[in-house]
Amino acid sequence: MAVIEFERLSRRFDGQDVPAVNDLSLTVADGELLVVLGPSGCGKSTLLRILAGLEEADAGDIRLDGRSIIDLEPRDRDIALVFQQYALYPHLSARDNILYPLKVRNVAQAERQTRLGRAATMLNLDRLLARKPAQLSGGEQQRVALGRAIVREPKAFLMDEPLSNLDAKLRTHMRTEIKALVQDLGTTTFFVTHDQSEAMTLADRIAVMSAGTIQQVGTPDEVYQHPANRFVAEFIGSPPMNLLRARADGDHLVVADGWRIPAPPGGRQRPSLDASSGSGLTLGLRPEAIRLSQTAEPGALAAEVFLTEPLGSEVIVNIRLGDEIVKVRTAPEVRPAPHDTVWLTALPGGVRLFDRVTGQALAG
Amino acid sequence: MSTSASPWRPRLPLPIRPGSADPRPTGATTAQASAAPGLPVEVAADVAVAPRTAARRRRGNRPRRSPVEWLLVHAAFALALLFFLSPFVWLLTAAFNARADYVLQWPSPWTLDNFRTVFTELDFSRYLRNSLIVSLSTMVLTTITVALAGYSLSRLDIRRKAWITYSILLLQTMPLSATMVPIYGLARELGLRNNYLGLILIHTAIELPFLVWMMKNFFDAVPRYLEEAAWIDGRSKFRAWFEILLPMARPGLAVAAGLSFLSAWSEVLMVLVLVDDPDLITVPFAFYRAARGSGSYQQVDYGIIAALGILYVIPVLIMFFATRRLMVRGLMNSTRGL
Repeated sequence: MAVIEFERLSRRFDGQDVPAVNDLSLTVADGELLVVLGPSGCGKSTLLRILAGLEEADAGDIRLDGRSIIDLEPRDRDIALVFQQYALYPHLSARDNILYPLKVRNVAQAERQTRLGRAATMLNLDRLLARKPAQLSGGEQQRVALGRAIVREPKAFLMDEPLSNLDAKLRTHMRTEIKALVQDLGTTTFFVTHDQSEAMTLADRIAVMSAGTIQQVGTPDEVYQHPANRFVAEFIGSPPMNLLRARADGDHLVVADGWRIPAPPGGRQRPSLDASSGSGLTLGLRPEAIRLSQTAEPGALAAEVFLTEPLGSEVIVNIRLGDEIVKVRTAPEVRPAPHDTVWLTALPGGVRLFDRVTGQALAG
Repeated sequence: MSTSASPWRPRLPLPIRPGSADPRPTGATTAQASAAPGLPVEVAADVAVAPRTAARRRRGNRPRRSPVEWLLVHAAFALALLFFLSPFVWLLTAAFNARADYVLQWPSPWTLDNFRTVFTELDFSRYLRNSLIVSLSTMVLTTITVALAGYSLSRLDIRRKAWITYSILLLQTMPLSATMVPIYGLARELGLRNNYLGLILIHTAIELPFLVWMMKNFFDAVPRYLEEAAWIDGRSKFRAWFEILLPMARPGLAVAAGLSFLSAWSEVLMVLVLVDDPDLITVPFAFYRAARGSGSYQQVDYGIIAALGILYVIPVLIMFFATRRLMVRGLMNSTRGL
């Protein structure tokens, strides 16, 4: 159980112009499962390795329960790490792999067996303990690696893309297992991934990272519904949020093609709306924030269908709007053909606005 | 087509992993197969099933060999075998022959007299002890050194590392005889002539460059995350190296141990340079003296030389069989099981 605080952390690798981690501050609450989500190369793994003590920071501090750990060796940080490649010791059996950190710490023999038994039951490993890693499947190796982390009863778990070496089906399964495990143990967990569905399903909070900085921290819902900027809007969601050039016109927003959408209500955004109208706005609409109708509706915009992508449980309809393509999520039975005319209505609660220059969210 | 069409094909197939492409070019197949009699059986045994079908398929594509061709190929192999085996046959027969000569002779009667002479008159046990002390110490020192140096070059952040690494390889290309004089002077100044330490140090130095380079490659093949996992599990860097990396690099250590032992065991030039004390000479040097006899090459006692030869080879064979499995894995630079 622990609070992890990153304070103005920076790290630049030799020979690179852009820092991997850039003046980053972030707090992971006690018992929270925080997922750092970002594209490859955004610095999330570097951040995790600095936290683990495997990489050094150029500047900044990391505190664990208020105590600075930045100068400590990895072994003194009381943090367990689950690697993407599992990192099981090939010459040791699953049992000895799990017991290794306890042996290193001279935990009493009886206590070792108790903790091993508990972990093995929790992870359903009893039948596998005698095997060497080479005799285990990927999922089993992953469970042993988790076992090695939990027997230590550390202050925090770090997980570095622990699921990305598993096949798709197993990944979904292990995702559930990890979530249940962490909930059971209540241990603070710092989880790094590039997979947004992993992040959405696992996280108590998501920290979206790009170019060495945190773009937004929030619950999965917050991050999805109210992205802090264009990067988050485009990175999260599949398909991502539609971003359209717009300008303010009184109470309405006008999209390039002449689509008039009522501006989102509320007093807070109005001044910023006015302030930004000179430089221009970007309007954000999630694919499910647009209602598609195959018959004419008052106030709706008529547009031409470009392509229909059926996905089983839903259909993504691509619609041509001027020189842009808008993706709309519809029910599975809606199947407009290319060149059909459909009518679009933006749902009032789903309109998001961004400054076209800075990319920052303006409203909502 | 029956198997008798190519009966010289060895029973055990070469080690080909099932599913992997057959590396043997069709034309050279038999020659290569026969030329590798030392290939360990266990390597081949675990893949014995799959290549058989591949071999049959290949045989089907090849024209039949005529009996004459069969005979010629066999004769050629028999001749080659005879040529390479005859020195060993001579060694065996001459050692047990009291009146041995430099030609092949069947001993009559078989006798142990030569061995007796070697131990009584030549004081062989002393030379053997010298050789064992020097070679085993060289082996231990070399193995420890390459394990540390290989790791350093593989993992540590050292300035000008590439430069250092290639200089080490460059050292390996230096002919030993070119350094004879400075080594003599150095050893004399440091008091390293006529003692074990001098021999151990120089033999270690001779073997280090190649083996350090080799060990570096072994450590390169061990993924970094394994030792990182050990650090996080609570080990110091040294203990993580010792408990996690060294076991991974065991085949490499076996090769380092085997090669350094064999090299120190057979090295004679540096013994010649560093040792005058007759009590300190090693077995290969004793050979040299026995062959010179009483100063002229006319009265060489071939029986004694042969007996010496056999005694000389025995530790090498023991060494080989003790480390054979690991050596083969190491020499194939295989990281299977990682």
